[in-house]
Amino acid sequence: MDCLLEGNCVKAFGKAVHALSRIGDELWLDPMVRGVSSTKQRWKGNSLALRSVNSAHSAYACFLFSPLFFQHYSLGPVSEQGSETIKCKLLMKSVLPLFRCLTSIERNVERCQISISTPSDRVIIQFFCRHGITKTHNLSFQESEALQAVFASHLCPNVLKAPARLLGDMVMHFPVSQEEITLSMTPLSVSLRNYYEGGNDHMKTMYTEMSLHLDEFDYFQVGVDSDITFCLKELRGLLSFAETHCLPVSVHFGAAGRPVCFSVEDMVLEATVVLATLIDSESTGPSQQTETLAPTTPRCAEAAVLPVGSCEANSRKHQGVPAVMELIPSSQGSPIISPPALMLLVPQTDNPNGLGEPDEACASATTTPASSTICSLLFRALSSEQDSDGCAARLPVLAYYSDGEENMEEDYTRSPSL
Amino acid sequence: MKLLLILSPGVVTTISKLTKMCVLRLTPDNLFFVLSGKVANGGVSMWCELSQANFFDEYQMEGVSSEDNEICLEVTPENLSRALKTVQNAKTVKVKLTKKHCPCLTIAAELPTMSSINRVVTHDVPVDVIPRRLWHEFKEPNMPDFDVSIYLPPLKTIKNVVDRMKNLSNFLVMEANLNGEMNLKIETDLVSVTTHFKDLGNPPWGDDASQDGGPSQSRDPEAMAQARVDIRKLQQFLVGQQVNPSKAMCNIVHERVVHLILLHEDVSLQYFIPAVA
Repeated sequence: MDCLLEGNCVKAFGKAVHALSRIGDELWLDPMVRGVSSTKQRWKGNSLALRSVNSAHSAYACFLFSPLFFQHYSLGPVSEQGSETIKCKLLMKSVLPLFRCLTSIERNVERCQISISTPSDRVIIQFFCRHGITKTHNLSFQESEALQAVFASHLCPNVLKAPARLLGDMVMHFPVSQEEITLSMTPLSVSLRNYYEGGNDHMKTMYTEMSLHLDEFDYFQVGVDSDITFCLKELRGLLSFAETHCLPVSVHFGAAGRPVCFSVEDMVLEATVVLATLIDSESTGPSQQTETLAPTTPRCAEAAVLPVGSCEANSRKHQGVPAVMELIPSSQGSPIISPPALMLLVPQTDNPNGLGEPDEACASATTTPASSTICSLLFRALSSEQDSDGCAARLPVLAYYSDGEENMEEDYTRSPSL
Repeated sequence: MKLLLILSPGVVTTISKLTKMCVLRLTPDNLFFVLSGKVANGGVSMWCELSQANFFDEYQMEGVSSEDNEICLEVTPENLSRALKTVQNAKTVKVKLTKKHCPCLTIAAELPTMSSINRVVTHDVPVDVIPRRLWHEFKEPNMPDFDVSIYLPPLKTIKNVVDRMKNLSNFLVMEANLNGEMNLKIETDLVSVTTHFKDLGNPPWGDDASQDGGPSQSRDPEAMAQARVDIRKLQQFLVGQQVNPSKAMCNIVHERVVHLILLHEDVSLQYFIPAVA
């Protein structure tokens, strides 16, 4: 793969890297043969996806650049199935410093060339700067299957489309250190408040709430009244990107526990952040588990959800997932469960340790006690085997595994991928 | 208790840099931010007084009882400062004492928007109500029986000097005399550094503030009163000052305490730093 970016696009690319760095420690560089944007604009020709996932698997971000974004873009020798393109996993801490100072990039960098060199296992990023200076960075990468989350936004009952600065203005009232916030939607208003976890530290915690009338949004759809709690820190990168580029932000979500998707798009790129939301387990209990399950496909991988009290689930290969990930028996019992609102394609990786270390981006989420559980959105399947105890068959399907479009079943194939 | 106000965040931000927790005393005419000199603070104490009329469009309070018509709250000024900063552009701001999961100062603001309907922001800043029996700890401090009183040089200048001295020593000696001269000195095994300020001027009360009137009248104008203080405490005081006060003074009780007084238009701030041996 070899692409050339010029001028302002380098800065936009850098800003995308900044936003992705808020999510995870690793960056996937994923050249795609046929990029498909989730708004169903099929970009003809090749596109480049940049993705990141947090180690708790509760946040995923993807920036998809259409061929029009680049001055020049080629995949190199590639077969028709598209499976020959190299997918690179890079360390965020190698990539972020190259784009850290956006103002100096704006002033000095004329063009940027990014290429993947297979023989040397290096991604080469070259900045062609003023005064004839060229800076070349060789980053080693690990070849790794791409990670994708497929979010069927058309299935979400609630939609908000906010003008560029609105969400930024709303979150400005919360301290930068605020981990999680709760977004509530009713037919009249939308409110944001910081998430109150209980505990003893009353003296220190300031509670902030703000509410807006729905008229302030460009578009809204209230399917269900819902309160969703998600990690604000991970979202700030995207909000900053949207503000810089004056792009409205679309929010798709459902009831608590279902993932929420924030997306921005313009003619040449599309960015998405999908975050898991907390489920309040007060309304649920393990006994409800079996009653609320959706039928699963035979090739269902372990979902992100692990049964409460089923210890063996923890010992299975969820290295990226802290043991606190417990079951989310869905209170929704809801029609939303089937078909699943979020589907994940996570092909095998060769790294048995999964996608990251067990420390989390969303600190408080993963240390919360069982009474509030994060529903992890993505889950990687190691292989296509069934779980030996057949557990998977009884879990609500939030994520399942497929290793390619041809294996996807029924109408799930129509869901756009990110 | 209800207070409706437009409160400048500046004062609260300054205080938030000085201390993590302090006491807010509310009386019918004034607000006070008080930090009493306990061991935990390193003996530093602070008294900041604001007249409510300068800040509030409407101010209503009812104290604990009619004889003790005041309210005493322990608050984290940083929370308050943050809340006030975000509502700087508000059309209206209301501060109320409420009881949510615990007693709170609730700051409710209406923010202007493009549409006709306002955005409402509410911040609940948790506070602790201080019982009456402890109120004596938070009384206005007496003006100490100081030996010298002098006007301070511009705070920014002092801050620059103190910042550099901090790298060399943990303790700094402040000395001043009635001739408008002030020195800041540090001394270590390797080096000693002194910064001299001249022609600062002395406040008029310098001569007769002493209660028994004796020693200060005959005080040699050249004689320095000095106190050795922990440099970090002085630095902490200086860091918080964002605006130049209309008057800044320093009283020194020889080898006992440094008393700093800042007067802004609407606010007065006093800060006591105890001397160390």
